[in-house]
Amino acid sequence: MMITNTVATTLIVTSKESIESSNRGLEIKMARLSQELIGLLNDPATVKVVSTTDARGVPHAVAKGSLTTLDEELIAWSEGFDSSTSNKNLVGSIWFDRTVAINATKGAVSYQIKGKLYKCLIAGPIFKSFLQRARERRGPEADIAAVWLLVPEEERNESPAVRGTEEAEKRPFFHQHLDNASIKAS
Amino acid sequence: MSRAELSIDELTVKYPKVPRFIVLKIDAQRRGIKLTKSALDAVQVPLYRYGSHNGISTERDTELAYPGPMLLRDGTSVLVSAAVASQYEDPYTVDHVDGRFYISDHGNQIDEVDFTPRPDFYGKQTSRGIPMEAIASARPQRLDIQPYRYCHFWDTKDQCKFCGFFTDLKEQRQAAGDQYVKLLDPQDIYETVREALRESGRISQINLTAGADYSGDTPFENEVNRYVEVLQAIGKNFKTRRFSSQLIAPAYTKKQVERIYAETGLISYCPDIEVWDEKLFKWICTGKDKVVGRTEWIKRTIDAVEIFGKGNVYTNFVAGVETAQPHGFENIDDALRSCLEGCEFFAKHGVVYLSLVWRPWKSSVFSGQKQPPLEYYVRLVKELRDIRRAYGLSSDNDDYKHCGNHADSDLERVD
Repeated sequence: MMITNTVATTLIVTSKESIESSNRGLEIKMARLSQELIGLLNDPATVKVVSTTDARGVPHAVAKGSLTTLDEELIAWSEGFDSSTSNKNLVGSIWFDRTVAINATKGAVSYQIKGKLYKCLIAGPIFKSFLQRARERRGPEADIAAVWLLVPEEERNESPAVRGTEEAEKRPFFHQHLDNASIKAS
Repeated sequence: MSRAELSIDELTVKYPKVPRFIVLKIDAQRRGIKLTKSALDAVQVPLYRYGSHNGISTERDTELAYPGPMLLRDGTSVLVSAAVASQYEDPYTVDHVDGRFYISDHGNQIDEVDFTPRPDFYGKQTSRGIPMEAIASARPQRLDIQPYRYCHFWDTKDQCKFCGFFTDLKEQRQAAGDQYVKLLDPQDIYETVREALRESGRISQINLTAGADYSGDTPFENEVNRYVEVLQAIGKNFKTRRFSSQLIAPAYTKKQVERIYAETGLISYCPDIEVWDEKLFKWICTGKDKVVGRTEWIKRTIDAVEIFGKGNVYTNFVAGVETAQPHGFENIDDALRSCLEGCEFFAKHGVVYLSLVWRPWKSSVFSGQKQPPLEYYVRLVKELRDIRRAYGLSSDNDDYKHCGNHADSDLERVD
């Protein structure tokens, strides 16, 4: 398995087909990511935001510079602190089957991913690679608490141009003010 | 699991705030695990191949290496060894299929699991030629060192009746000397810690414990001297005065604890009460009762909070052992009430009271005794966590990462 772009270490990890196992502890359906989204996720210039909720449904969104794809299928990022709101929400999400949302945006291109957490890593080669990368980027005093792996279940292109076209096709008169340059006579 | 007991799925419905991962952890600790041939073959690769365990001998039925602690998908550690599978009556099975490990119960696959990666220092030697895995062992994020592998309570048959530590797990005797080294050299410990810390992100805490040695002019004086020397040797590896560490040891006098705190970099101290009920303590922990006494043990534990601070003094109890017969509680509600009373008492005094799952090892006096049902443990860990939280306590030195042996502190991950 290759941790793409931000972490260049090559890791050997086995096939992921069994993630779709139907046992009750692991009911996750994996969605294949589009090439455009994979490129976006693996671009260091992309802003990537992870959104979680707590037990009461209160949302929490944080940018994650470490976020990338593993083998272009799983999504991985590191958390800096076990006691952060984000990390606690992630623990609650894997414990109680809550969905996590990710937004990746660069310029006018924006995608949302929804998925379920697959693993929390606190040791091992992938964990070590993320820590190593954090120390390369932020200095030898940088540290991480965990690496989270998410299985994407749903991908949605949120780029304004794409969404505008989709909505206009469905409801052509619903979303425009009448002074909009595209329809108002000069 | 007896047919009368509730299953993991039934319990997660009945107690929806206790996650399934934690219920699985408790039951795997309670019942143990065994590896299929495929799983055993799969852990022979460098990533998983652990060295020999120290402190407690294993019943080897194969020359193949066993893995380290099991890991659940949420990062929960399960400190259970398949190497002692013959001790378990009804263990879970871990299989290896298509490159992944899965845990199952009587053929029903439950979840994917993994094992702790082998630490880089395993396979290396100290300057005196001692294998480093004979000096220290590693959990996912913790280094364990047992500088003295002999408990002298056994000399007079006053060992804790649940204990199988430092035995060969078969006979009721201390096995140090003929099966492993009894006393470690501080220089070997220093070098092993130094080597362990070369591995990035591998160790978050260093834990010391040993067999009880109450020799000396004041009881435990020689043991305290030994710990001071060892902690000072470990401390040479750090720039800071203090470092993430815990000492699990008998309840020392306040003067002894002050000395350890003043002369070493230790940050947390854990004199284990083992069982809260007064009569059961005297019956089960006869050595501790004879040398220190329950009242004094508790007083010393509380006194240590003045030195280490609120939340930095811990005491473990062996959950379920209070039901051991013929003197233990016969009713689960009474057993739970006693345990929770102990938690509340210690929490009021700033001490973190944590549960361990009781396993009646064959080498222990309580061999063959019946463990409480899984539901007892689920209720217990939830209530323990709630009590400590109400008193503003968190188990930072004994959480899922710095220890990994307490389901009740695992629950604090979302607090």
